[in-house]
Amino acid sequence: MPEPGSESRPGPIPERIVLVGYGPVGARFVEELLPVVRAGLATLTVVGAETADAYNRVLIADYAVGHAGREALEVTDTAAARATGVSILTGTSVTAISRTRSTVTLGTGAELAWDRLVLATGARANVPTLAGVARVRRNLMMPPQDAATLDSNEATLPRGVVALRDLDDARTVRGAVRAGGRIVVLGAGVLGMELALAAARGGAEVCVVHHGEIPMNRNLDRGGGTVLARAARAAGVTMVNHSRAESVLFRLDDDAVQRFDALICADGKQIGGDLLVLSCGTGARTELAHLAGLPVSTGILVDGSLRSWADPRIHAIGDCAHVAAPPAPGAGAARPTGGPTGLIGPGWRQADRLAADFTARLTAAGSGGAPAPNEFAAGRAGDLLAPATAVVMLKAEGVDVVAAGDTAADPWDSEPGSHADGCATAPVSVSQWADPEHGRYVKMVTRSGILTGFVCVGMPRTGAELTLLFERGSELPADRSVLLRFDGPDDVPGAGGDAFARETTVCWCNGVSVGAITDAAAAGNATVTCIGAATRAGTGCGGCKTRIGELLDRFPVPTPAPAP
Amino acid sequence: MTETTATHCPYCALQCAMALTQTEAATPGRGARVALAGRAFPTNRGGLCKKGWTAAELINSPDRILEPMLRQPDGSFAPAAWDMALNLIAERLAGGRAEHGADSVGVFGGGGLTNEKAYQLGKFARLALGTSRIDYNGRFCMSSAAAAGNRAFGLDRGLPFPVEDLDAAATILILGSNPAQTMPPFIGHLDGARAAGGLIVVDPRRTATARLTENGAGSHVQPTPGSDLVLLLGLINIVIAEKLVDQDYIDSRTIGFDELRRSVGQWWPERVQAQTGVPTQQLRDLARRLASGRGTYILTGRGVEQHADGTDTATAAINLSLILGLVGTDHSGYGTLTGQGNGQGGREHGQKCDQLPGYRKITDPAARAHVAGVWEVHPDSIPGAGLPAVELLASMGESGGIRTLLVHGANVVVSAPNADRVRAGLAALDFLVVCDFFFSETAALADVVLPVTQWAEEDGTMTSLEGRVIRRRTAVAAPAGVRSELWIFQELARRLDAPSRYSTDPAEVFDELARASAGGPADYSGLSYGLLDEGQAAYWPYPAGSTGTPRLFRDRFQHADGRARMFPVRARVADAPAQQRGILTLITGRLLEHYQSGAQTRRVPELALARPEARLQLHPATAAQLGVADGGWVDVTNSRGVVRCRAEVTLSIRHDTVFLPFHFPGEQSANRLTDDVTDPVSGMPEFKRTTVRVRALAGEERGADA
Ligand SMILES: Cc1cc2nc3c(=O)[nH]c(=O)nc-3n(C[C@H](O)[C@H](O)[C@H](O)COP(=O)(O)OP(=O)(O)OC[C@H]3O[C@@H](n4cnc5c(N)ncnc54)[C@H](O)[C@@H]3O)c2cc1C
Ligand code: SF4
Repeated sequence: MPEPGSESRPGPIPERIVLVGYGPVGARFVEELLPVVRAGLATLTVVGAETADAYNRVLIADYAVGHAGREALEVTDTAAARATGVSILTGTSVTAISRTRSTVTLGTGAELAWDRLVLATGARANVPTLAGVARVRRNLMMPPQDAATLDSNEATLPRGVVALRDLDDARTVRGAVRAGGRIVVLGAGVLGMELALAAARGGAEVCVVHHGEIPMNRNLDRGGGTVLARAARAAGVTMVNHSRAESVLFRLDDDAVQRFDALICADGKQIGGDLLVLSCGTGARTELAHLAGLPVSTGILVDGSLRSWADPRIHAIGDCAHVAAPPAPGAGAARPTGGPTGLIGPGWRQADRLAADFTARLTAAGSGGAPAPNEFAAGRAGDLLAPATAVVMLKAEGVDVVAAGDTAADPWDSEPGSHADGCATAPVSVSQWADPEHGRYVKMVTRSGILTGFVCVGMPRTGAELTLLFERGSELPADRSVLLRFDGPDDVPGAGGDAFARETTVCWCNGVSVGAITDAAAAGNATVTCIGAATRAGTGCGGCKTRIGELLDRFPVPTPAPAP
Repeated sequence: MTETTATHCPYCALQCAMALTQTEAATPGRGARVALAGRAFPTNRGGLCKKGWTAAELINSPDRILEPMLRQPDGSFAPAAWDMALNLIAERLAGGRAEHGADSVGVFGGGGLTNEKAYQLGKFARLALGTSRIDYNGRFCMSSAAAAGNRAFGLDRGLPFPVEDLDAAATILILGSNPAQTMPPFIGHLDGARAAGGLIVVDPRRTATARLTENGAGSHVQPTPGSDLVLLLGLINIVIAEKLVDQDYIDSRTIGFDELRRSVGQWWPERVQAQTGVPTQQLRDLARRLASGRGTYILTGRGVEQHADGTDTATAAINLSLILGLVGTDHSGYGTLTGQGNGQGGREHGQKCDQLPGYRKITDPAARAHVAGVWEVHPDSIPGAGLPAVELLASMGESGGIRTLLVHGANVVVSAPNADRVRAGLAALDFLVVCDFFFSETAALADVVLPVTQWAEEDGTMTSLEGRVIRRRTAVAAPAGVRSELWIFQELARRLDAPSRYSTDPAEVFDELARASAGGPADYSGLSYGLLDEGQAAYWPYPAGSTGTPRLFRDRFQHADGRARMFPVRARVADAPAQQRGILTLITGRLLEHYQSGAQTRRVPELALARPEARLQLHPATAAQLGVADGGWVDVTNSRGVVRCRAEVTLSIRHDTVFLPFHFPGEQSANRLTDDVTDPVSGMPEFKRTTVRVRALAGEERGADA
């Protein structure tokens, strides 16, 4: 990597890099690329549709309910990037990519030339089919020239209906929470549940409407979802399941504009409220790539090096990217597996990896970017081609939910022991712990001992440990209950153990055990001072003198110490 | 001498006060016998640990080297007269320099040397040898915390406050340090926090220190190894997000808050949980406790610093302390717990490759001019910056690297990372000289071994973990054939026609050191043996005319504008390998009974008996999986090396982690496995996150011992 401050050295013509999208993943890419920009090896132009500098979208719900201030959303130093020479155009959209001319067209009509193009256009919230709410087939539309209507393309949502994705949406929600309004959340995915729990904590009346049986049904199994639903109810959220929303009822505001009044479900239920938050999943913004003739699936298709399947000069990272191995030449066009996770962790990894590759190429450092080869295989999280394994964690203080991988299997599905150790086709094994009364539920799914999926509700430490084990692709202890005990009172090894057992250490400074002290007492040392002289116990920090006194009371001289 | 001499323990940085009385004088064949007792002092309050209590046994040890030893053509050692040994060394030093240049001669020092020796060693290297290639084992110890302190405060003193200040604290956060075993008398200073329920220990192991948090005394946070930086960034994130910061302090005393805030924006609690294994609620509770404002100290140790991102981790701990407004107040603070006896003083007086006495930068022309003035040489005759320890050792046997090496107070074969490579490097040298009391594993490889005085046989000063300069005093005469390093430097300098003076009188050397340090960050110029012997509690900086500085940073930090710097640091998300079939993360550390490479403590029968060998600690669930029994033999391997030892199955360690003490040599030497990648700022190696494969050994593989 070039030395900071080594700019203006005459060198090759700098490569022109254009980045479309200045969300958190785009911002990460910018940060990582600053050294080569500083060194004059590349110029970087960023075009972002939002008027704000990149911020932490992950915390948008906290901001929306008033738990976090605006400054808590800052994740990057845009001013520093500008000072380094990065050109950052906010409030500007890219409306077209020309691959033949190697340019992008901006909403302003201007064109920018690139040698390398990086798409970090992210994802938008899905708007479900609801009578009364207009929908556009946005994945086929031309991006509008007005950056502010990137996702609505004139078909703006009615008043009182919002899909929480950006700062403007958050401000709308903030207003409703402040006003103490009643909030209806449509959809019980992780984002819907987070918002509902946070808003309830913020004092709002909240109702979650969803069509499945349990919340977070993409991530949780029935047990986990049921425990979560109970926890949500306990936190004051009304959970309405098995309900398919069909249409929206409006009332008229004072200025005669329609405003959300109630959600109407297929079974005729009416759920009234002041704000309807649509939380029905997200979809990658692929239209730019699609119109430029690049292959897209559930995201812009890129290979393990994050290059477009069709054009090695174009890259995609973050929520808009679908990382998958391209089909072998001549092979049929099978639907690529996987897809964007919609999570930030994989996006940031992709940004890091791509920037490292760029840096290595531009500094001709050869291996510079690639992680040093390791004799031990890297864990699962390091594999960009396996993003479907991302861990999903509910962000809600006091409600601990974390899950990953495929957790559909049931404990009784398979015969244990029918496959050899390490066999790749071995069936999965399932261990389960359910304690709904105390809000606890754990399911661990393994194949040949290796964790391939889990659900953990209400057991924070266990969930944290399972996350680490899962991300690394590690083996679970054969005794799975070891993991459950992390959240039990017996996690404190030794506490509650026998304070008077012979091997228990009394004096840490001198490593003196109960046995050594009672032996010394038996030999006639009747006071704490005598014991100290005989064994050095209590002659360090002195903190154990009281304990020695207790021992002397318990094993008075000359009674010999009992055998262990 | 029959009277009692007041001195301090030879081992760790707590420098517990001791009283020594000679019971039997030294003979030519054996060191003196000494009776030893604890002595009242604010740090140890009269107490000593097991190592301290037994320290005097080494003076009289039958293993002591009592004459210079020369390697013979057949590989054995034979005694030689001092004159002959010194002539040979001088000849080889001069010859090596003439043939391969001054930088082909290297010097490796130690954090156990007195200030006087460390100072003289640096001067000897620069002037008598003309080499820039000097560094010391403190690079494996304090370098990350030192670099972080200098960067943030403009000054590095381990504890910028006296140890007793901890007594009144309600909350003490200890990250990666196990003082209950490494410096036990220290834990008395944690009682106040424990009584307030506020001792928080962060360690992947449930160490003796972590257990001090039991029964309501506080809490133990047990992150996966190597995730400390993320943990700290997460705490900073929570403190900022929950508005627990001390805004007035930030505004008036620091620079860089906005950058810091943005840099931690990506570490919200759930993401931190996923990386560290520490639940969000525990993180939140911890952040809130630290901000509760009832006297809060944050202390770091090697556990978080001995990493390739150690400087950044220490920096994050400092940033956390700064946003909470802890540093430089009367009730709170940040500090790092120095390990080696003179780990503090040893890094101030010129045995670091980039430093001159007084903690001056060797690249600073003004510093060079000042020191050259004291040494009465031309500034240009002082070489520039050399190589930090790991690089210095790695250059042995390489072209343009070190060909001749002097080692003082270090046992690199056991204590340096990637030990097998170090051993190969030593073997490739043209000439190796080691000064030691014993045939340490490194001395055993030398061409010449020079026997030197032990702590009770010499005068000097040490600078303890709290930056207090204390006196080491001669209690007994050394055996006749043993010499002080100061004498050795003088003799060699004379034979090498070196410029400047090399006094053998520690008091004189100290006075020179004090003058050389005048005006530097670690200014000792107001100090003298006379003053120290009056019992003055002398905390540096102690410029002439002052009374020293028990508490630093109360009004200003040492940067020109008086403000502390908050450096935003980034965590690299390291992908831990899949932990399958015995692949685990190894951490290394110390035991109560042993000190550093164990060259000394393994020779104390009582300590050796209590801990005769290394044991690999592992969790029962992990042990069961691998078929490892408590006390059974295992081998621990990676591409760098193999360790064979017995297992200790214990609940006190995470299931994904194993622990080895680094005190043992040979096939039990933990550092055969550690990697020699280093921190880009401090040169600290990665000691505490090593991937290994653990395997149970069957009886026949172990051979006769099984
Ligand atoms: C409420 C909520 C909670 C979340 N919680 C979590 C969580 O707990 N954990 C987690 O991992 N993830 C979470 N996520 C997901 C996370 O926010 C996304 O993974 C992340 O934002 C993806 O970053 P990105 O930069 O790829 O895309 P985005 O953040 O979507 O940013 C893309 C940017 O590109 C711009 N853009 C798009 N097209 C154009 C164009 N044509 N021209 C110019 N600019 C364009 C957009 O305006 C936008 O600013 C959450 C998301 C939401 C909404
Ligand atoms: S704590 Fe340190 S200084 Fe004190 S006796 Fe033990 S080793 Fe010596």
